[in-house]
Amino acid sequence: MAKLKLALYWAAACGGCDVAVLDINEKILDVAKLADIVFWPIALDFKYHHVEAMPDKSVDVCLFNGAIRSSEQEHIAKMLRSKSKVLVSFGSCACFGGIPALANLTTRAEIMERAYIEAPSNENPNKTLPQTKVSVPEGELTLPELYDNVLTLAQVVPVEYFVPGCPPTVDLILKVVNALATNSLPPVGATIASDKTLCDECDRKKEKKMISRIYRTHEIIPDPERCLLEQGLLCMGSATRGGCGALCVKVNIPCRGCFGPPAGVFDQGAKLVSSIASIYQTNGKQDIEKMVNELVDPAGTFYRFGMSVSMLKRRIPQKT
Amino acid sequence: MLKKMLEQFGIDEKRLMLEWVSASEGDRFASIVNNMTEQVRALGPLNWNQGGKHG
Amino acid sequence: MKKITIDPITRLEGHGKIDIFLDDAGDVANAYLQIPELRGFEKFCEGRPVEELPRIVPRICGV
Repeated sequence: MAKLKLALYWAAACGGCDVAVLDINEKILDVAKLADIVFWPIALDFKYHHVEAMPDKSVDVCLFNGAIRSSEQEHIAKMLRSKSKVLVSFGSCACFGGIPALANLTTRAEIMERAYIEAPSNENPNKTLPQTKVSVPEGELTLPELYDNVLTLAQVVPVEYFVPGCPPTVDLILKVVNALATNSLPPVGATIASDKTLCDECDRKKEKKMISRIYRTHEIIPDPERCLLEQGLLCMGSATRGGCGALCVKVNIPCRGCFGPPAGVFDQGAKLVSSIASIYQTNGKQDIEKMVNELVDPAGTFYRFGMSVSMLKRRIPQKT
Repeated sequence: MLKKMLEQFGIDEKRLMLEWVSASEGDRFASIVNNMTEQVRALGPLNWNQGGKHG
Repeated sequence: MKKITIDPITRLEGHGKIDIFLDDAGDVANAYLQIPELRGFEKFCEGRPVEELPRIVPRICGV
């Protein structure tokens, strides 16, 4: 079999997905046997003009991580789409917006103000903000335009497969590599993880107990055997796709939903609101008020990784 | 809980109503729906830009 | 004046772009490093519970 051509790219991301690819350790040698890497900015010295020069559909597989929040990222996404036969939305940022999509609770103007003007580490008395075009004595400099909304890869271009996770686990990456090696890719549109919820693969004891209080993670040391949600901790397991092997809950840390909504769930946060509402013991208005007060940051917790694919997608700017 | 979350998304709490109406209370049901419709209409459309690039 | 653009800067996490301007003699007249990316952790961490930050800020850089 001829060697596959593989491209990897990071948009609005942290580089953790790229490192996750290396976490497969010696199996990376199998990848090297299977494929030639033609673009991977974090590891190899290819430039955008190299990719531009490639013929359409000449890349067999592109693993694209990171969300889309600037004109450059959208441009590269479109370019890699046209150069690639198979485009994989790799990691939670590309699939659901991820942590960068928490920015959808703010606006571009607020982010600019905070980062470039208010930040105590910045001295910017003229309140200069990044511009898409700047004239300097030697010529002109350009920068991409920052978008107001953080988008997923699939909201910008068609995508063949989704590999969730922050970052995707070694097992899932190997699943992708094996599917490529044996030419046994699933039907287009598939998410390479479990179709069920995280609860389905969690070993903790569920006693169908009601809760009378929501605890913040620093307030209690949870019992390592019992369901975290039933102990009053906000665990996103019931509204989250499985496939990670329950890594966080195994170390007594509640799930934050990085695998996104499970198959058939339209809105991850709404699903969790209904889970909590159904197990919180309330005997009247006072209890409901108490529950709402104990819940410090519903939007930032329930859509920690999934803001871009939620029903509302962003905070709605107030009319002025 | 939903109200608190919607507030974080910048959605006016007047856009959400929770009421219990019995199947026998036809008139009450109609008037609640009409009132809610009027209330939301008065608030006007959301200034909601979900796919676009500029806010 | 000639311009050399290095885009993207590779083998690191994060996005960077260098524009180098050469004068008529071919020497470097000036060079600009630009960062074409901003995610806004400075802003969107505001309003998050403090005990959740250890699970948010590691995503500033995962390398």
